Amino acid sequence: MDWLLIIKSLLLLGGLGLTLGLVLLVASQKLSVKVDEREAKIRSALPGANCGACGYPGCDGYATAIVAGKAPLNACSVGGPKVAQKIGEIMGQDVSAAEPRVAVLICRGGKNEAPYRFQYRGAGNCRQAALLLGGPKACIWGCVGFGDCVNVCPVKAITIGENRLPVIDEKRCIGCGKCVAECPKNTLILIPRTKLVYLACVSHDRGKAVKDACSVGCIACGLCVKVCPVSALRMERNLPVMDFEKCIDCGICVHKCPTRSFIDRAPGRPKASINPRCTGCGECIKVCQFKAIEGEPGKHHRVIPEKCIGCGQCVLVCTVKAIDLVGALGHSVKKV
Amino acid sequence: MNNAKIFIAAFLVNNIILMRFIGLCPFFGVSTSISTAVGMSAAVLFVMLLAAWVSWVLYHVLLFPLGLVFLRTAVFILVIASLVQLVEMYLKKYLRNLYSALGIYLPLITTNCAILAVTFFNINYKFNLLQATIFALGTALGFALVIILFATIRERLEDAPISPAFKGYPIAFIGAALVSLAFMGFTALFGIS
Amino acid sequence: MNNHPSRLSYLTSGIIKENPILILMIGLCPTLATTVTARDGLGMGVAASFVLICSNVVISAIRRLVPDSVRIPIFIIVISTFVTIIDYVMQAYQPDLYRVLGVFVPLIVVNCIILGRAEAFAYHHGIIDSFLDGLGKSIGFGSVLFVMGALRELFGNGTILNYPLLPTAYRTSPMLFAIFPPGAFFLIGLLKALVNKLGWGR
Repeated sequence: MDWLLIIKSLLLLGGLGLTLGLVLLVASQKLSVKVDEREAKIRSALPGANCGACGYPGCDGYATAIVAGKAPLNACSVGGPKVAQKIGEIMGQDVSAAEPRVAVLICRGGKNEAPYRFQYRGAGNCRQAALLLGGPKACIWGCVGFGDCVNVCPVKAITIGENRLPVIDEKRCIGCGKCVAECPKNTLILIPRTKLVYLACVSHDRGKAVKDACSVGCIACGLCVKVCPVSALRMERNLPVMDFEKCIDCGICVHKCPTRSFIDRAPGRPKASINPRCTGCGECIKVCQFKAIEGEPGKHHRVIPEKCIGCGQCVLVCTVKAIDLVGALGHSVKKV
Repeated sequence: MNNAKIFIAAFLVNNIILMRFIGLCPFFGVSTSISTAVGMSAAVLFVMLLAAWVSWVLYHVLLFPLGLVFLRTAVFILVIASLVQLVEMYLKKYLRNLYSALGIYLPLITTNCAILAVTFFNINYKFNLLQATIFALGTALGFALVIILFATIRERLEDAPISPAFKGYPIAFIGAALVSLAFMGFTALFGIS
Repeated sequence: MNNHPSRLSYLTSGIIKENPILILMIGLCPTLATTVTARDGLGMGVAASFVLICSNVVISAIRRLVPDSVRIPIFIIVISTFVTIIDYVMQAYQPDLYRVLGVFVPLIVVNCIILGRAEAFAYHHGIIDSFLDGLGKSIGFGSVLFVMGALRELFGNGTILNYPLLPTAYRTSPMLFAIFPPGAFFLIGLLKALVNKLGWGR
């Protein structure tokens, strides 16, 4: 047992360890960087998807910008009001949340509705296909269907469906807008999650030209503009433009459109039902655009459930509050 | 061996990555983009030189005279680990951009075989301090050369149509095989083995 | 042997699902450098396994005594102790193997597998579990090292473990590509592609 060797080794290693430890200790004091602790707290409050919807380079970038006082506290649409609230608490400020949004496809012309003009044999991405005469579909405005949006979605919320159109999983979608930016045909948009009805067509053609290209395309007949109870629609370049502030999501345009170009996102719609308070005044029959109420004057009126679309216009005009909207649990029509 | 030959040997003929297979983990991990490759090379160069000096001095002044040669593994690696920590702190304070570019790679340099290998080679080849410096410099530059060259190749590979089984590491390895084959052409350059 | 379901999985996961070399892609340096022949690969595998298992056990044993901030240097000291042991043992009992492996024996101390398992596993689990994990990972990378070595020796020399397996005609002018560095890169690329195709680790 060479004790001297053991002692020498212990001394050397011990001495080295102590020296290095001291050097590191001194260095950590002199080379310390002051990091605002709020930045770390904000960063951990953020969802960490690094999607860029806030407009900053990733969650780190957003956290830094908040602490630097350069960023609004509610820019994270992914985290929504909860995250905005937390950030507000950390920064000691009041905050109101950015409205959560969801991506939707504003084109209904899949391979079943919109025929192809030619066979396309080229690179399988939308941007390149769109360069070639607007894409292989007969409608030069609509979705090309090769899935550039699928590739950029950071949460894999989009898949190409059987009908050659992107299908967006609304539960997964975080509303970051990457797919909207990527689409070369601009057939993806972000709408507030509370918005239920929207137009799903981007064709600026009208009449026969549209019908030849797609069976569900907007032919610019203008019927929706006429039937809208709140005048939320107006025709512009052969497409109805919807004022989201005015629209009450009643769904009348959805059912009146001859080409079914509108989409209703509501999982279910209620139906009107007339209770015993009815005096038989007939106001509801006059306002119903679907002839879904019948009855003789003075007698108790009755709703025909198959025809009723749950738009709620009759509820508004009934003076004795005899009509209720029932069914479709969890769904309610705005401002009724 | 004169100094020029030491340098050429370390830089090309016995290139640390392609000929000696040392430093492969950062080679495949960092060479995905040119900017990270350059950053990593700079950090490796800095740490390699410092580590070569400190370890050479410790060996010749303490370990060898005291007959504690068997402690060299532990001593060298401790020195390297501390050096990396110091470099990390320094970068964080004074070169913020480089620090965020290198991210997780800095602590990875600690386990970078290349740095420890250089410290061992300096002992095994019985270099004096100047020769050890040249060897470390040549090795670090050889590392940088290969990593940056390979980064350019990998950036091209990103867009190439490759069958799914080969995407990522497999095609990178095969690419490395071809570059390594090219570097074998340097064997016996200037009569160096 | 423990039949506790998760205990057994510590052992078996290291062999296929979390094979350190082919799935986790760590510890590549010795894989390519020391597998010129099957015996070298096997020798390296055994040496590194010794270090991995011993350091896993010791680190797991002292884990409650080690404060979080200095854990990496402590791990390194423990690992380098075992590396030094195997270094001198190999020098004494297997000098030709030691000459072939060269600088890669002390380089075991920076093998990502060993430090990685110490940090990710041994520091947070009990001794038996750490032993099983170390054993599993050792079998995993040991087999890869052996297979690589065997294949390179087979194509580059016509033998495995010095048993001639290919006809003399081949052995007089074998495919030297397999023995040189490019061959190693090429072979591991093919192995990894095969693993991807088979869907290991998914």
